Amino acid sequence: MDHATPFARVYLLALFAVIVAMVVWAQNGKRFFIRRIPGLSAIEEAVGRAAEMGRPLLASFGLGALTAQEGVITLQALAIVSNITEAAARFGNRVIVPVRIPALMPVAEETIREAYTRGGRPEAFQLDDLIFLSDRQFAFAAGVAGLINREKVASVFLFGTFYAESLIIAENGNRVGAVQVAGTPSTTQIPFFIAACDYVLIGDEFYAATAYLTRQPTLLGAIVGQDIGKAIVLGFILLGVVLTAFGVPLVANLFADQAVPWGEMLRPVAPAGTGG
Amino acid sequence: MGLFTPQAGTTLWLYIAGALLASGVLFLALQLVPGRLRKPLIAAVTFVAGLYYVAEFFLPADPATQANFLTPYRSTIAQINQVLLSLAVGVGVYSLLTLHTKNIARRRQGWGYSVTLLAAMVGIFVTGLLKEYRPNDVNKAAFSLFFDGGLKSLDAAMFSIVAFYIVSAAYRAFRVRSLEATILLASAFLVMIGQVPLGQALTIGLPTEGFLSNFRTENIREWILTRASAPALLAVELGLGLGALSTSIRLWLSLERGSYFEKDL
Repeated sequence: MDHATPFARVYLLALFAVIVAMVVWAQNGKRFFIRRIPGLSAIEEAVGRAAEMGRPLLASFGLGALTAQEGVITLQALAIVSNITEAAARFGNRVIVPVRIPALMPVAEETIREAYTRGGRPEAFQLDDLIFLSDRQFAFAAGVAGLINREKVASVFLFGTFYAESLIIAENGNRVGAVQVAGTPSTTQIPFFIAACDYVLIGDEFYAATAYLTRQPTLLGAIVGQDIGKAIVLGFILLGVVLTAFGVPLVANLFADQAVPWGEMLRPVAPAGTGG
Repeated sequence: MGLFTPQAGTTLWLYIAGALLASGVLFLALQLVPGRLRKPLIAAVTFVAGLYYVAEFFLPADPATQANFLTPYRSTIAQINQVLLSLAVGVGVYSLLTLHTKNIARRRQGWGYSVTLLAAMVGIFVTGLLKEYRPNDVNKAAFSLFFDGGLKSLDAAMFSIVAFYIVSAAYRAFRVRSLEATILLASAFLVMIGQVPLGQALTIGLPTEGFLSNFRTENIREWILTRASAPALLAVELGLGLGALSTSIRLWLSLERGSYFEKDL
């Protein structure tokens, strides 16, 4: 779908409106509840453990670039790493952040520096701990594995886009006995993280992380808006199941990649497999 | 679009000079922006940049060309992005050089690795240039030694290690410690049995149609993958899609707080 179909226009704008409305409501004082997420609760514990052991922690925001597909994932991961760094700064911990994409160096530097400032220890920020390793996937993995082993890190945090190197990094963390927390939208890598890490954020828990960690009303509002969006989609799925069972392809036509004329919505127009 | 069409000769040099001048003026202007206005400025630029993509996607397209009036600028904007990102390669190289020259100068533990890294970096850079601008057999062979013999082989070696890590990770994950781990182990066992010819041979005596065909190992495998695993994965992806939408809106409208912006802009 290069351009929005008429239904997608209505549907996406409705989701947009719901999310923004929830954010505004939260900013105006509405208190939202967010359930306990063990993986995120473990972050404080993992940071505290590193402080007790007097060893650094490693926090990666993944291998994603700033492209349209990966940019939002990378920025979300960097936001999580920023919160981890802030907690680590409060404990007086050193945080090592490996970087794969050179374009992210200035963004990461500014973000991590501010995190140390928020944590009350701006002087603890060391530029040498923000390391550009390589933009090649396996060279980066080798670099991260080397850092984990040389520095004997106490905790490893892996957030963002990961590919086949995920297991190399996570297994090295496991070898040095680090507490590992991971979260990735790369669904093919989630099983590897589940096998190798102590805590894993699955699915949209990854996007809920900053809201959970900071309890900022704006972020909590966005999460609630997102959940309402999920309920709307669930409603459409149930409606689609019922209507399709009776031979009415309305929902398949509404979510088709190509626009289906309104007058033909009740006829099987959209080719199979094009439903969004 | 005239401004963005490829140029040659004197015009190209004029364009380069103009671009450098404009960048310099922009850089100076940005330096003069007071600190308190920088974040609102970033928010405004983010909004305008995002607005292009939103408008291009939402505005109706001509059914014949599948394009609206904003579509032709997509490739130009992608090129601008590419140029901006390419400029940042220098930042990465600078970071590497600083870190490793410091390691060498201060004789930190493992400084020999830093020497190796810098030597390889210089080697591949110089041989790459020579291969491009003096493409003789010696230069091509020298570059190939670094790239094919070194980098590609090391990449392949790292990738091959994944196989061993899969075994150790699977061993830990499949230990029967809880109900979930037991279900995981049983599912993995059934999928593996249904995948390999030896496993399929175990139930070869069962009919291919009718109720009993459901117990053929390949059908059990198929059922687990398409009826249990795939829907769960789709549900995860649905949540991820909505999460990405919500996060994109937060970032586009600069509503994100704490990580990139203070409580108030």
